[in-house]
Amino acid sequence: MPSLKVPVSWLRDYVDVSVSSDEIAERLHMAGMEVDHVERTWDWDKIWVARITALERHPNADKLLLATVDYGDGRTRQVVTGAPNLAVGAIVPYAEVGAAYKDAHNDGTMAVLEPKKMRGIMSEGMVMSALELGIGPDHEGILLLDPQAPVGARLRDVLGETVIQFEIAPNRPDALSLTGIAREAAAILGTPYRAPAMEPLPHRLDPSLLVVRIEDDDACPRFTAAYLTGVRMGTSPAWMQQRLIAAGMRPISNVVDITNYVMLEIGQPLHAYDAERLRGRALVARLARAGEAVRTLDGVDRILRASDLVIADEERVLGLAGIMGGEDSEIREGTTEVALEAASFEPRRTRRTTDAHGLGGSGGSAAARRFALDLSPELPPLGLARAVHLLRELAGATVVGAVDVYPRPRQVPNVKLRFSDIGRVLGAEVGRDEAVDALRRLGFAYAELGDQLVVTPPAIRTDIGIPEDIVEEVARIVGYDTIPTRLPTGVLPLHERHPLERMRERVRDALVGFGLQETISYALIDEAWLRRLTPDGSPLAPEPLRVTNPTSAQQEIVRPTLRASLLDTASRNMKHRKGLAIFEIDPVYLPRPGDLPEERWTVGVVLCGLAEPVREGETWLTPERVFEVSDLQGVIDGLHRATRSGRGTPEVGAPGLHPGRSWRLVDGARDAVVAGQLDPRVAEMWELPPATFVAEVDLALLLASVRPNAALTPPRYPAAWRDLAFVVDDATAWRDVETDIRAAGAKGGLEDVALRDLYRGAQVPAGKKSFAVRLTFRSPAGTLSDADVDRAVAKIEARLLHRFGATIRAS
Amino acid sequence: MSIVANDLADMATRAESEIAAAADEAALDALRVRYVGRREGEITKALKTLPSLPAAERPAFGAAANAARERIESALERRGGELRASALERDIAGAAADLTLPPRRVRVGRYHPISRTIREITRIFAGMGFEAVEGPEVEWDYYNFEALNIPPGHPARDKFSTLWVNAEGSMEVALAATGTGGRAVAEPSRRQPMLLRTHTSPMQIRVMEQRRPPVRVVVPGRCYRFEATDATHESVFFQYEGLAIDEQLSMADLKGVLYSFARQIFGSERKVRFRPDYFPFTEPSAEIAFDCFVCDGSGTTNAGRCATCGGSGWIEAAGCGMVHPEALRRVGYDPSQVQGFAFGGGVERLAMLLTGTPDIRLFHQNDLRYLESV
Repeated sequence: MPSLKVPVSWLRDYVDVSVSSDEIAERLHMAGMEVDHVERTWDWDKIWVARITALERHPNADKLLLATVDYGDGRTRQVVTGAPNLAVGAIVPYAEVGAAYKDAHNDGTMAVLEPKKMRGIMSEGMVMSALELGIGPDHEGILLLDPQAPVGARLRDVLGETVIQFEIAPNRPDALSLTGIAREAAAILGTPYRAPAMEPLPHRLDPSLLVVRIEDDDACPRFTAAYLTGVRMGTSPAWMQQRLIAAGMRPISNVVDITNYVMLEIGQPLHAYDAERLRGRALVARLARAGEAVRTLDGVDRILRASDLVIADEERVLGLAGIMGGEDSEIREGTTEVALEAASFEPRRTRRTTDAHGLGGSGGSAAARRFALDLSPELPPLGLARAVHLLRELAGATVVGAVDVYPRPRQVPNVKLRFSDIGRVLGAEVGRDEAVDALRRLGFAYAELGDQLVVTPPAIRTDIGIPEDIVEEVARIVGYDTIPTRLPTGVLPLHERHPLERMRERVRDALVGFGLQETISYALIDEAWLRRLTPDGSPLAPEPLRVTNPTSAQQEIVRPTLRASLLDTASRNMKHRKGLAIFEIDPVYLPRPGDLPEERWTVGVVLCGLAEPVREGETWLTPERVFEVSDLQGVIDGLHRATRSGRGTPEVGAPGLHPGRSWRLVDGARDAVVAGQLDPRVAEMWELPPATFVAEVDLALLLASVRPNAALTPPRYPAAWRDLAFVVDDATAWRDVETDIRAAGAKGGLEDVALRDLYRGAQVPAGKKSFAVRLTFRSPAGTLSDADVDRAVAKIEARLLHRFGATIRAS
Repeated sequence: MSIVANDLADMATRAESEIAAAADEAALDALRVRYVGRREGEITKALKTLPSLPAAERPAFGAAANAARERIESALERRGGELRASALERDIAGAAADLTLPPRRVRVGRYHPISRTIREITRIFAGMGFEAVEGPEVEWDYYNFEALNIPPGHPARDKFSTLWVNAEGSMEVALAATGTGGRAVAEPSRRQPMLLRTHTSPMQIRVMEQRRPPVRVVVPGRCYRFEATDATHESVFFQYEGLAIDEQLSMADLKGVLYSFARQIFGSERKVRFRPDYFPFTEPSAEIAFDCFVCDGSGTTNAGRCATCGGSGWIEAAGCGMVHPEALRRVGYDPSQVQGFAFGGGVERLAMLLTGTPDIRLFHQNDLRYLESV
């Protein structure tokens, strides 16, 4: 937002501020003029008004000077300085040892001045720049004070000021000025506003002196100019310099200072030309032509674009309209004839030209920052009249003519509303008298027609167009704090259900319940990460979306996978711990032709390093154990059980994962689950241990695989158990064995199969393994007899023999 | 009583004294088997002699056997009780555990402070009838800006430093759209350009496009800005957006809803401040702040200037206002029939306050030492 520094002493020129600076700042803030902070420059302790009485070269350094300062009562000190703008007799601020100041070499943080030896010579204190004093950005030279300032006085008595820094909303360029803030203050305080003195301007201008022409009245709706003679270039008076400094600008010369002063005061930027340098005595607002160029005031040669609005004379471009003047037509020492421009420019074009020529931002053109807003075309004549007044008073100028080119005057809107609209929008009862009083104070004209109110805003307000704008104005002055609070009544909207979001929260709860830590990582990632997900760098995910103007290469890719972020999180944490279990639930972004990308919600899990003990090193009860693939299987199984979901048969192996210790569950054309041990070569790239396990679960598919809830009544009859051990080929998968046991036992009342032990070793032949299982039998119809159970077990044994050639070890 | 019956009584007496002397449960079990075991116990053996007895003696013998069994069983029970009681006493008197030793720890999972805060926000607004909905993070310029009265070149775009997305040359289109400028702005397609949403406000438009009033929604979600990161700024962050549209909603309702929210999240003592602000898509617009819960609005603590509110005494919570009539018209609502309010605030801001997190960057760094502490 555009900012504005308002020295309170300056504000008092236009309005009687009967309250303290703090209070007026607070009341303006509460009425919508946002106060960023209030600065006081009067806290300077140990800083004095001093005269330079001697200046000599530092014997050991070319660029340093030894300055002797006299700061009254015969007190003198010698300081070392590098400032280029000192002369004997200059009046400067001098800070004693112990003074607080802003350290220019340390980002302006506050520091306390200490005696310091510089190149062998002791510097007892310091002469100060505006930046060091905290009153402006300037650090190129020492702040030169009014030559009349009393030597030996405290600086705060000479320059002391309270400055309120505002952040003005972009729809209120009328308030981006001292008089703008003063009008607001007057409305709030209910006191009169005093306009600054304006020079009555002649309505004629001899064309042999100056011709003003607009060639594109969209780009330049209004162009006013005055012709002044007898201008005496010089320095501006101390009071003006001090105000400019306090408002954050640097004094340059009387004419330039006056244009800046009027810009701050009225809000209208102005430009002064050396009239004798205008070829053909013309100022023309037109679009640039192909191949045209101009050297602007900052010394840069600029090639112009055909869409750039320029001010030209009859032969050449003089400057970028509303942004920066040209070097050639600049006023200078010896200038006596001045053509003064005050014009309106279309904000969007100004903004684009400003950006295209790199003149935007806080370091760019102050005029351009204002012209990027919708400044009222009513402002130019005001700015011109004020500037002419000051030029006459302070530079001896005589105005010999003025011109106002305004082909299509902008209509000020009449806004119609009903008094009842105010209560309808605010929910507060505002009396008619109170409402019209607020409008009157703000300078709005109004007519009452029964319940109707027709309101005309002041011409310089460009933000008013609809009834709600008027309601806001009334509310600002009445005070937003007077609006009552109540809770909405009326019909409650019917809530739709969002199954995916409910599922997401169930999953979040489940994973936290399993003891995993939730993480949230940047959705923008480094492209290099995507090449570190497979051993050969081949991509895991489709070509991702890219940020065209990333803040850094690390945040260029709109991530198409969570895996890279999870591995990065794991990797950074494993530098200071031995194990972790984390998860993240976030979308991945998958481009779609001609449409926004799909934002696919994904659950990512990483288990890495030591699983136990939970607290590192605390092995007195729990020996150290690293995560295994079965831990990850447990998490996925738990997730499925907690959400009553999961379908399909997994396939072994997945890209980027260990080919024999990973799996994917495919659902339709998509992976519902991809999980397993990270390919150890990939783990190495991320500096992760081999025992790193990752899983990615597609939340929508998890939701799609949810089974209906089937409530179970606890069984009435007792169960019977049998243990069974049998030997099969080592290659036999447990899932196959379990499936067959269940099939064979179903009719005999087999309720459950639990794997008790898996054994390979001396007790079984080579190439074989032994499974020990516990079988649970139960009938819904009655207690099973031993004979029933024996028969069922025999059937199971027969099936194991038949299908797997199993040898029964014990039953 | 016969001699045989007397023998039974003697046996019972002997058994009683042996039982009384049994040292433990195992000895007691052995005695139980020996005297009253069902197959080989003395009583069983004695009863097996019953048929060989003269018929006249049988009743007396039977009665004596039963009496002996009862005596033995009651002795067994008594001694069993004594042994169990003394075992418990020994256990109780046994060595105490060193309870200062570390426990067998369980793994404690934790929510990320951002997701916890979003849950809290949606829970509170749900209580006021606001349904949580979500929307796309990668968004059309139309929803992020145009439909919110922020056309290309609008000065309010400065506030939203935008990250553009490459899809189908959306940046070129973005520049071209800016380039047409002035009054000659061509009607830009809704399909171009594409960006990372700079706020959750585009969901105001999407929700209104999809629903008819009454509407009450709260929209949490991730947002993006082209922004240098520091302790209070992130390029990727979360916001919550609220929208309510009905026939009779006013600023007072807006104030009430946010007032209630602030007090539910930071305590019933909170005071709320409402002041004018500017957003292109609300009119009138406001900023809501509540008094600092650390310094109670004084701006100072014992340690000096309050670090939580920066000394102002107020914590800005959300931007808000009445939905702009132009935005209502754009989605086909009739501003003379319905009006409503919208609000939007930062999730991180609340999460920082709720958890005492001093630096916004901690949220995305995922240092587990931090996450486990909040």
